[in-house]
Amino acid sequence: MRRSALFLLFWLAGSLALAFTVIPLVELVAEPGVAGVVRAAQLPDVRSAIGLSLGAAAVTAAIATAIGVPLAWVLAGRRFPGKGLVEAVIDLPLTVPHTVAGIALLLAFGREGVLGAPAAQWFGLRFWGTFAGIVVAMLFVSLPYLVNAARIGFEEGVDPHLVKVARTLGARPGRVFVRIALPLAWRGIMAGITLTFARAISEFAAVAMLAYYPMTAPIRIYEMFLRFGLGDAVGAAVLFLIIVLVLFVVLRHFAFGRAGQRGFGR
Amino acid sequence: MNSDGLRLTGVALRLGAFALADVSLAADRGEVLVLLGPNGAGKSVLLETVAGFHRPLRGRVEIGGRDVTRLVPEARRVAYVLQNFALFPHLSVAQNVAFGAMHGTGNRASRHGARARRVASLIERFGLGAHADRRPAALSGGEKQRVALARALATDPELFLFDEPFSALDALTRDALRDELASFLREAKLPALYVTHDHAEAQALADRIAIVDGGRIVQLGAAAKVFAAPRNARAARLLGVENVLDGIVRAHAAGSVVEIGAPPALFVPLDTGRAPIGSKVAVSLRASDLALGPPGIAAMAGEVAFDATVRHVAQQGPLTRLRCDAGVAIVAWATTAQLRALAIAPETRIGMRCPQDAFHLLEG
Repeated sequence: MRRSALFLLFWLAGSLALAFTVIPLVELVAEPGVAGVVRAAQLPDVRSAIGLSLGAAAVTAAIATAIGVPLAWVLAGRRFPGKGLVEAVIDLPLTVPHTVAGIALLLAFGREGVLGAPAAQWFGLRFWGTFAGIVVAMLFVSLPYLVNAARIGFEEGVDPHLVKVARTLGARPGRVFVRIALPLAWRGIMAGITLTFARAISEFAAVAMLAYYPMTAPIRIYEMFLRFGLGDAVGAAVLFLIIVLVLFVVLRHFAFGRAGQRGFGR
Repeated sequence: MNSDGLRLTGVALRLGAFALADVSLAADRGEVLVLLGPNGAGKSVLLETVAGFHRPLRGRVEIGGRDVTRLVPEARRVAYVLQNFALFPHLSVAQNVAFGAMHGTGNRASRHGARARRVASLIERFGLGAHADRRPAALSGGEKQRVALARALATDPELFLFDEPFSALDALTRDALRDELASFLREAKLPALYVTHDHAEAQALADRIAIVDGGRIVQLGAAAKVFAAPRNARAARLLGVENVLDGIVRAHAAGSVVEIGAPPALFVPLDTGRAPIGSKVAVSLRASDLALGPPGIAAMAGEVAFDATVRHVAQQGPLTRLRCDAGVAIVAWATTAQLRALAIAPETRIGMRCPQDAFHLLEG
């Protein structure tokens, strides 16, 4: 009897959590109807904004993977002085309000910024109001997701014994990383890429501060809302949501597969 | 010793709060040296130091006559076999073996050809042909062990290191694999360092034994000698000696005797060396040396005999463990036939006898 009551309580809590997420999205999708979504899809500004968001989020995920996976491997497998500090720095963007992050990025990557000025001078790379700026803002807020998920992937997927055996079999650390660690941690890394992509594509504030133009989808939708009201913004929002959800489901399938099907039993 | 083997000289290491203190040992070609010790004694750290994962503060590690103290693990040519064999789960049997054969000399094409031949010959030698394309998860314990050994041999190693490879296996599989490994090591004729906390495993595999405790080698010698004469009480426990008895040195016309237990005490003739008369000593006695009989059993020449009351009877595998009171707590083993013949049950009296030299004086 007590067990049934507990089950009911957990079921209710879970249902509330799901309803909280699903109801606004259902409301959103129901609002414009198919015609509204098609109309939004026919607008070149909306299409280019969604394309820009997808492209920038993909580039962000690629850069995050390139720089975040090696860091995650080091954090998973090594003890070194200051490791706690490195971990805190990695997680910092999760706690910084994104408008604040945007201002910080503006100061660092702006025309006179400590990184922006030399990048412009030496490589001709500008961040204020450019694709590169969008990627920088997206990367700042999403990198922790990649590092943390990949780290968990390495910690859970790669038995330290395998690394030691591989070394004694003649493999240098780089080869161990490529042949043993990466294949065994790939689900964690894919989960990180999925989360990074999702976080990057949904970013508004930090992107708006550093690169309001060219407009990504969230900024374009916000702009439409300000200029034309809710009616026009909803169609674009639903179109963007559908595209992101399809991508998310595909990525999630690769990342998580059938993992997580294990239960506690009765 | 032969320069082809392993030699550690004065190796000292610190890892956080743990320290290895001036470890010196050697293993000749074809010799199995077992490191026996409790959990946390430093056995695995010592093995990892030989493999190259920790750099000693002091001392020297030589393998096959080469000083490898400062070499990285991949340059040491050691075959490392770990718990549950640590096969790469995402690679097939053939790929696991090939991983060990990847690092050779010569140009890329000749290396590739030589590697393929070597992998094929190892797979055939270990009877793994039917499993070459299977993943480790689909293999039995015995097949996993053979893959691990084939993979290790693919590197043409100069030393085998084993870190409790059987500790995650069930007892039946463990016994079978231990026999298989023992015959493999006899044929391989390479030095081997084998870490375990299981005295039965040590007894089955060791040519020599080093007892490791608290980061030190507390006893090192031929396996038979170490098992027969543990240095101290802790070593005796690790070596599976059931009876570590407290006694007092007494004077005797023919030399010294050790008085063990409450009156009527046992008096065991024993060379107590420099231990003064009246001093407290500890004595080891293996339960397997005790013969059981009816109460009042007579001692033959060179034997000690005494009576005891059985306090507790527990079946353990094919034998029954008896906890007895002979003025001191004594553990003995009985066969089912002895249980019946002597009508052994709790609170019955039985007689015991054993050779005098079954008692062994331990260091304090």
